[in-house]
Amino acid sequence: MPGHRTKGFCASAVALALCALAAGCGGSGESVGGGKVVLRYTWWGNPDRAERTEQAVALFEKQHPNVQVQTSFSGYDAYKQKLAVQATGGDAPDVMQLDYRQIDQYASGGVLLDLAKQKAVLRTSEIDSGLLATGRVDGTQYAIPQGRGTETVVYDVKTWKTSGVPLPAQGWTWDDWARAVRALEKKTGEPGATDPGQSEDAFEVWLRGQGKALYTKEGGLGFTAADLTKWWTFTDRLRREGAVSPAGQTTQLDGSVENTPLGRGKAVSDTNWDAPSSGYLAIIPTGIALAPMPSGSDGTPGQYFKPSMFLGVSAHTGHAEAAAQLVDFLLNDEDAAKILGATRGIPVNETIRKETAPLLKDFDKTAADYQASLEGKLKDPPQAPPSGDNALQTTFQRDYDQVSYERMTPREAAENYVTEAKAELRS
Amino acid sequence: MTTTAIPTGEKRATAPTTKRPSKRERQGAAWVFLSPWVLGATVLTLLPMAVSLYLSFTDYNLFDPPHWVGLRNYTQMFTEDPRYWRSVTTTLMYVVIAVPLQLALALVVALALKSMKRGKAFYRSAFYAPSLLGASMSIALVWRAVFNDGGTVDNLFGTGGWVNRPGWALLAVALLTVWQFGAPMVIFLAGLQQIPAELYEAAAVDGAGTWRQFLSVTVPMLSPVLFFNLVLQTIQAFQVFTPAFAVSAGKGGPADSTLVYTMYLYDRGFVASHMGYASAMAWVLLLVIGVVTAVLFRTSRSWVFYASEGDR
Repeated sequence: MPGHRTKGFCASAVALALCALAAGCGGSGESVGGGKVVLRYTWWGNPDRAERTEQAVALFEKQHPNVQVQTSFSGYDAYKQKLAVQATGGDAPDVMQLDYRQIDQYASGGVLLDLAKQKAVLRTSEIDSGLLATGRVDGTQYAIPQGRGTETVVYDVKTWKTSGVPLPAQGWTWDDWARAVRALEKKTGEPGATDPGQSEDAFEVWLRGQGKALYTKEGGLGFTAADLTKWWTFTDRLRREGAVSPAGQTTQLDGSVENTPLGRGKAVSDTNWDAPSSGYLAIIPTGIALAPMPSGSDGTPGQYFKPSMFLGVSAHTGHAEAAAQLVDFLLNDEDAAKILGATRGIPVNETIRKETAPLLKDFDKTAADYQASLEGKLKDPPQAPPSGDNALQTTFQRDYDQVSYERMTPREAAENYVTEAKAELRS
Repeated sequence: MTTTAIPTGEKRATAPTTKRPSKRERQGAAWVFLSPWVLGATVLTLLPMAVSLYLSFTDYNLFDPPHWVGLRNYTQMFTEDPRYWRSVTTTLMYVVIAVPLQLALALVVALALKSMKRGKAFYRSAFYAPSLLGASMSIALVWRAVFNDGGTVDNLFGTGGWVNRPGWALLAVALLTVWQFGAPMVIFLAGLQQIPAELYEAAAVDGAGTWRQFLSVTVPMLSPVLFFNLVLQTIQAFQVFTPAFAVSAGKGGPADSTLVYTMYLYDRGFVASHMGYASAMAWVLLLVIGVVTAVLFRTSRSWVFYASEGDR
């Protein structure tokens, strides 16, 4: 029987190769470093948030000597893309910061762990039930809100004051805002604001100011091409006048404050979320201030309190309990709260919020005061955006690029967007 | 049955060394040595390709199980997606700008290096280095900083930056590729050194100047190498991703001006979660590259000169 020996050898060689392969693949969920449980924790944010998070994590490691936490962070755009790739590869980090827009998609995709099953180590009793519910999809608690945020007009105080243009006031309208940015440009020679036309968030505030919404209750598109045409015509006119940032500046926005026109010293103000605006302090040493977003012409406020970001745990984590402990620590531990302050919005744990409120200083206090000034004046937040919105945010920005570079009229771009959005939401 | 089995065993035990290994045995050994590669090629290339072909006929969104949709992805791509066509034209423009520029630069530097007497090794390494570095993300980010407004190029020439101007951003991306001309340059250099010196001497005797020598000796003799480089660089250019991704911060902007094919593919797959659509795009790219390569081979008959042909 020739070849008998070779065949046996062949089989064992293949078996060996497979073993090596299996050994290489295995153990991804069982990452252990020096006998310690290793957790991966990722978030998006600025260096200020990173520094404070590192401190809090170090404290957690001290309290849990058997756990080692590997952290990483990046800007929002890069984070969003990287997490999508990791999540689809089944390699999502054990603990991850999530945006409102990601929850629906990731929860229904089986990426996130049911956190209610970790009740023993993860306490949620001190979080406002309405706020807590925003992390639920189909009745399952997939994520826990970390803080509360709202949009703001953030501006360079010194430049605005010396220009002599009246400071923004509670209840100002989009017309008041347009007058202000025009006047700022005349007085300072720099655009008064970042062109808000590229921002789906700013558009939403403008839309809600007219009693409309981005999405209907059923998850369809809540506005028409005519609405979007009106918004883009409004911002495009201001851009042509030089009252808001030019296309070359606007196109470089990537979610980090460093790359905004205000951050680059090329505009007086910016529309942003309140928590990340802390990043401006390092760039604009003369100081920044927060003003409410403009409201509709009849005074209807468009901005709202939004769960600023969430914490979720990977469904594939090998250490569900340790991961839940880390989430609990970040949300409910007093010492952690003292370190983290308001870097991710005002804390959600009510006891901690009350205790830390007087301790807040610098920008944290500015943000807390700003939110307090809006308390009771805003309308309810919309429900979590449908899955397709994640991609539409990018599409919105791209389509506006076509307007600001004058390759399409606002109407053409708006019709384009509405067609794409409808297709995206259907599929 | 058992009686027949025993003699076979005896036969094997008594006369193993005298017999030459049969053809089948020798093949078996070949397969054993090939197995790591076969395994890798199957698991890492063929299987994923088959899966991607299947997915291109589905609406797979990464999270839910795929549903068969037939040719819908393909028809949508060709008839309903203006951004797809924009990515096609952008890629073609990129190929047309980057490939000739890169090859021309590689040839010029190779010619200069060939005639160099001293320091050849140093310059060869120096020009080759970008090919090793250039593919990395960090260099691409440096590139972005250099061509950004307020960057080096802006400061030197007052251009206002390239990466934020739709007409110029693609050129910045192409220049990053052109700068990595080291690999074709080394191949050109090897080709140049193969050309017999007698040909130049004979041409000089016939009164041919430098330019005439270049056109009548160097170009024809180098044409197989030129063709090789052209095919290789064209295939690579169609698949450009990293420079466009980094220079436009992952967005293909400004105004979609650097949205090359693979970037749009990435966008559809990983940003919009339309893996089925992205797979279909990948297969169309594969087909197009195949067709373009075939066309290049076809035209090569009229301009590529192989020395052996001269003997006929």
